[in-house]
Amino acid sequence: MQKKSKGIFSKIYIALCFAFFYLPIVVTIVFSFNSSKSLSNFTGFSLRWYASLLQNGEVVKAVYVSVTIAVLATIISTVLGTITAIGLSKTRKILRDAMLSLNDIPILNPDIVTAISLMLLFSSLGMEKGYMTMLLAHIGFCTPFVITSVYPKVRGLDPSLADAAMDLGATPFQALTKVILPILRPGIFAGILLSFTMSFDDFVISYFVSGNGVKNISIVVYNMTKRINSTINALSTLVILVIILVLVAFRILPRVHRKRHPEEAGKDKSRKNRNLGIGMAALAGLLVLGTWAAVHTSGASRELRVYNAGEYMDLDLLKEFEQKYNCTVIYETFESNETMYTKLLAGDQYDILVPSDYMIERLIKEDYLQPLDWDLISNKDAINPDVLGKDYDPDNTYSVPYFWGNVGILYDKRVVSQEDAAQGWDLLMNPKYAGRLYMYDSERDSMMVALKALGYSMNTSDPQQLQEAYDWLIKQRDTMKPIYAGDDVIDNMISGNKAIAVVYSGDATYIMSENPNLGYIMPDQGTNLWYDAMVMTKSCRNTELAEEFMDFFLEKDNALRNTQFVGYSSPVESVYEQMQNEDYEGISAYVPRVGYEKDEIFHYQDAETKKLFAQLWTKVKAQ
Amino acid sequence: MKEYRKLSIPYLVWTVIFIVIPLILIVLYAFTVGGNPVRTLNFTLSNFAKVNEPTYIRVFIKSLELGVLTTAICLFAGYPLAYIISRFPDEQQDILILVVTIPTWINMLLRTYAWMNLLSDNGIINGLLAKLGLGSLHMMYTDFAVIIGMVCNFMPFMIIPIHTSLQKMDPSLIEAAMDLGASPLQTFRKIILRLSMPGVINGIVMVFLMGISSFVIPKLLGGGQYVLIGNLIESQFITVGDWNFGSAISTILAVIILIAMRLMKKMDLKEADGE
Amino acid sequence: MDKIIELKNLTKNYGDQQVLRGINLDIHQNEFLTLLGPSGCGKTTTLRIIAGFEEPSSGQVLFDGMDITPVPSYKREVNTVFQKYALFPHMNVFDNVAFGLNIRKIDKNVVKTKVDRMLALVGLADFGTRDVTRLSGGQQQRVAIARALVNEPKVLLLDEPLGALDAKLRKEMQVELKKIQQEVGITFVFVTHDQEEALTMSDTVVVLNEGTIQQIGTPIDIYNEPENRFVANFIGESNIIDGIMNHDLLVTFDDVQFECVDKGFPENEPVDVVLRPEDIDIVKPEDGKLTGVVRSVVFKGVHYEISVETKYRTYKIHTTDYCAVGTPVGLTLTPDDIHIMWKMGSY
Repeated sequence: MQKKSKGIFSKIYIALCFAFFYLPIVVTIVFSFNSSKSLSNFTGFSLRWYASLLQNGEVVKAVYVSVTIAVLATIISTVLGTITAIGLSKTRKILRDAMLSLNDIPILNPDIVTAISLMLLFSSLGMEKGYMTMLLAHIGFCTPFVITSVYPKVRGLDPSLADAAMDLGATPFQALTKVILPILRPGIFAGILLSFTMSFDDFVISYFVSGNGVKNISIVVYNMTKRINSTINALSTLVILVIILVLVAFRILPRVHRKRHPEEAGKDKSRKNRNLGIGMAALAGLLVLGTWAAVHTSGASRELRVYNAGEYMDLDLLKEFEQKYNCTVIYETFESNETMYTKLLAGDQYDILVPSDYMIERLIKEDYLQPLDWDLISNKDAINPDVLGKDYDPDNTYSVPYFWGNVGILYDKRVVSQEDAAQGWDLLMNPKYAGRLYMYDSERDSMMVALKALGYSMNTSDPQQLQEAYDWLIKQRDTMKPIYAGDDVIDNMISGNKAIAVVYSGDATYIMSENPNLGYIMPDQGTNLWYDAMVMTKSCRNTELAEEFMDFFLEKDNALRNTQFVGYSSPVESVYEQMQNEDYEGISAYVPRVGYEKDEIFHYQDAETKKLFAQLWTKVKAQ
Repeated sequence: MKEYRKLSIPYLVWTVIFIVIPLILIVLYAFTVGGNPVRTLNFTLSNFAKVNEPTYIRVFIKSLELGVLTTAICLFAGYPLAYIISRFPDEQQDILILVVTIPTWINMLLRTYAWMNLLSDNGIINGLLAKLGLGSLHMMYTDFAVIIGMVCNFMPFMIIPIHTSLQKMDPSLIEAAMDLGASPLQTFRKIILRLSMPGVINGIVMVFLMGISSFVIPKLLGGGQYVLIGNLIESQFITVGDWNFGSAISTILAVIILIAMRLMKKMDLKEADGE
Repeated sequence: MDKIIELKNLTKNYGDQQVLRGINLDIHQNEFLTLLGPSGCGKTTTLRIIAGFEEPSSGQVLFDGMDITPVPSYKREVNTVFQKYALFPHMNVFDNVAFGLNIRKIDKNVVKTKVDRMLALVGLADFGTRDVTRLSGGQQQRVAIARALVNEPKVLLLDEPLGALDAKLRKEMQVELKKIQQEVGITFVFVTHDQEEALTMSDTVVVLNEGTIQQIGTPIDIYNEPENRFVANFIGESNIIDGIMNHDLLVTFDDVQFECVDKGFPENEPVDVVLRPEDIDIVKPEDGKLTGVVRSVVFKGVHYEISVETKYRTYKIHTTDYCAVGTPVGLTLTPDDIHIMWKMGSY
């Protein structure tokens, strides 16, 4: 009676729900075979993203890290959680309630808080961040889920079961493994499923507690977002494939086997379980060993830890550098200067950083950097004099320019007239284009736009001027209904979703090379001129190697390949000129304006101004 | 089974190191100003006073609204699905629940990007509409997009606990109700729904927690104007570097969640009283 | 007595497994009818088909002469007491009992009166506000009965309701159930695998095996005149012996001719002879028609159970007289003590 009321409506409903769940996944899979970069327009079948995936060592490593961490964390937290749940049911009530409440905390706390608190913990314990800290953190947030899944089942156990088993001669351990655990299996299984899911999908916590080049898939994906391309679609398609294969292996094969050899079914079970257990243990052991080897063989004598923005380097160059100088480069990426700073503050160690001007200024002031020996940088003469000697480091004592550019407005030439475009920042207030523009979701850049539009310095801390800028942004928000976008603006503008966007010149270069309908203006009211540069930290031991690294990226061929890959303007003069005439001919965004008096470089802000900016920006966004 | 009492000791130690101490660190930050609180210890309530400002209050309210709305949709769409699944033969139920679970194994960011490509102005859905000769829909960067993304990501966490509680329900209870004259609808209301309450509450707690503290999905699908508690905390810790204020917000969020949990647990106890 | 339920040629298949193979049964008003059989015989399935929880693969269920086969369970005028009671854990005793009345939107005051009266009937007068999960097995049982009876069904179905109770309580409940049935004056259809329970309470016993009815009759008929080897074996204890019916009133087994009261068999027909253990008398060896030696004596309270080994077999005998192990004895039978059955499958 009860198992059969499955009308046509039920089936339709199930189908609709599943369609909803799987729609994004299907899109992911389909576009992994797209021949072009577009993520919304299928242009033809190709396997190019799979090829590029396989060549991408970072991704392959990340898959390894994700899988091993998920498997290890799941195994360890399942064991830990299950024995704890069993133990808890026998513990005094006060202690039990206290532990159960504590156990809820990691589940209830937002990931970001857990992440920060663990980061603080690891750095105060002096633990080097990497695979081990990531694993510990994952065990930390998986175990509570195991306990909450298993504990109710333990509570529902007949208390005399273990007594019965021991009465029949089982040791407490045997009673546990032969009687109690099999009964708890559904709860344990639920715990395993939850742990694996949580661990495999985690981004925030992993991001803050790992380091030294250890990245899981989420971190790599998050760093890739600047240039969304179908490599990640290819990756997730493979992940889906693997999951399906594993499921088929675990669920269908035993059934087929049972059908073929029905007489073995019953008695085989325990043996199979034991085999499974041994298999899992062996797998775990192998993983640990493998990881140990992977992490520690790389600890060769010459090692360089580089911390750069995401998608900001042609990684093939790294390999060549490693070969040429017989060393290992541990390469990590950050999402913003501030993230980088947070990590430094938490005690993470790097040799080379690639921050922006104002952050370099801050790092110099706070004594994080050490001066460079320019004699070792043989290509120094190749550097464009326009990018040297800027305020943040007037004599380039600490910094070697990496890329540079400005901030401007990208606009759709078919929609925005030449005349309107000439309005500069005021274009962003032109009611004709209400609802058709992206602002950049960053307090500093948005305030810069407002201050420049009003004719003030973008480095002002004058409360009156800041108030005016804030009012400008509020007015813009209310009349223009802009979207405050992050890096998603790149893909949006390539697809032509809106007509106007405030973007960095390097991103504009890339977008324009993909979408020829766009133009780029550098507003007459002046804009932010910025420089990213390589600096060497105080903690860097092998300074010579670090300087060789910097020099390597100034070498003509290397600089050329790097700028071709990233799209930002090269500081190497000859390369810069070559690109203007070849790859990026006619793309104005590649050539930032120099020597314009209204253009400025950001200065480092004191803490109070910074907080004020953040508060004002939050007010603008949270209407 | 008192032999097993000692089994919880390792985790007790673990809890102290990995939960209690970090938590103390956060609370310490929330109640102090400037630098490293462990060294300086300047106690203050100013971080909490700062929250009491219309902007931040609005952020809290918006987060709560979004959390409640997402939870409600997940509940009303997820319960029927869990219920339908629980009526299939056991073997098929396992497979269906697996089908519900698998999407959660695909990176959440990736699925959200896929939604962006589906919903954007020149995206896949609008492309299809155009091919059909229909006008385009503006979906991206709206409440609609955010809700779609959150519901798609969080609904499995509603379905699974509800299904678990439905599955372990004694089928003879349903027969008993029918036997006593209750129509299928009455049986559902008076027996099935009431007895699945523990699962419903679990699901609500899970989804509400994720909904109220999520920030990546709203940011990607709703644009920067979607400032929620999660974003606020993130930006305080990362961009602004005001860890004290960030900790204060986290502490308030934790307190809100704890209160919500207490209320839910109370309901749960009332419901489960009979069990 | 009028028929209230008629089962017409019911069959039920689960996949390729046939659990009911054509059940035909009339159930009468005010009857206490028991479906008796080993597990898997189809008795519970029959009950569930009457209740409406399962549909028969073929055949009909008539209720007061009307075909109710397609009627869903909640519209049938029968109520069920479940094996494990199926009390609603989220309701107290009163609400459990009142459930069916509340569903029918009966006036609150009427509900209260009826529920209180019913709780009094089952001996739980002051238990209304109790939590059902904290009741003892016997009390839960009473709540389940009250919950079903308060709806005043024409037929009450009971699915092994006493299975979970201890022996003493079960005896008490047997008596009580019978009393309740007589008091409310409705039909009870009771499912059990316990033959003693069936014999104690029932007006009619239906013995089932492998989806077919073996015998329908009063407890006395079923006990004294089992129709075949299965029934004889299942009901009470028996010595079942192969014999030859020489002609009417004379049977031969173990090389000895016995007078009996059965007739109507063909001459020299092979038959099963049933001898109830309490019907065999132990006498001196020289007075017995069969002789043997006592092999074991077990004290059973009221009687001894004695095993006597004869030339061909060991007889089981219940007697109040003690015999020492090793004693040579004789066995006698009066014609009334001998019951002749057709061999299974030969009728």
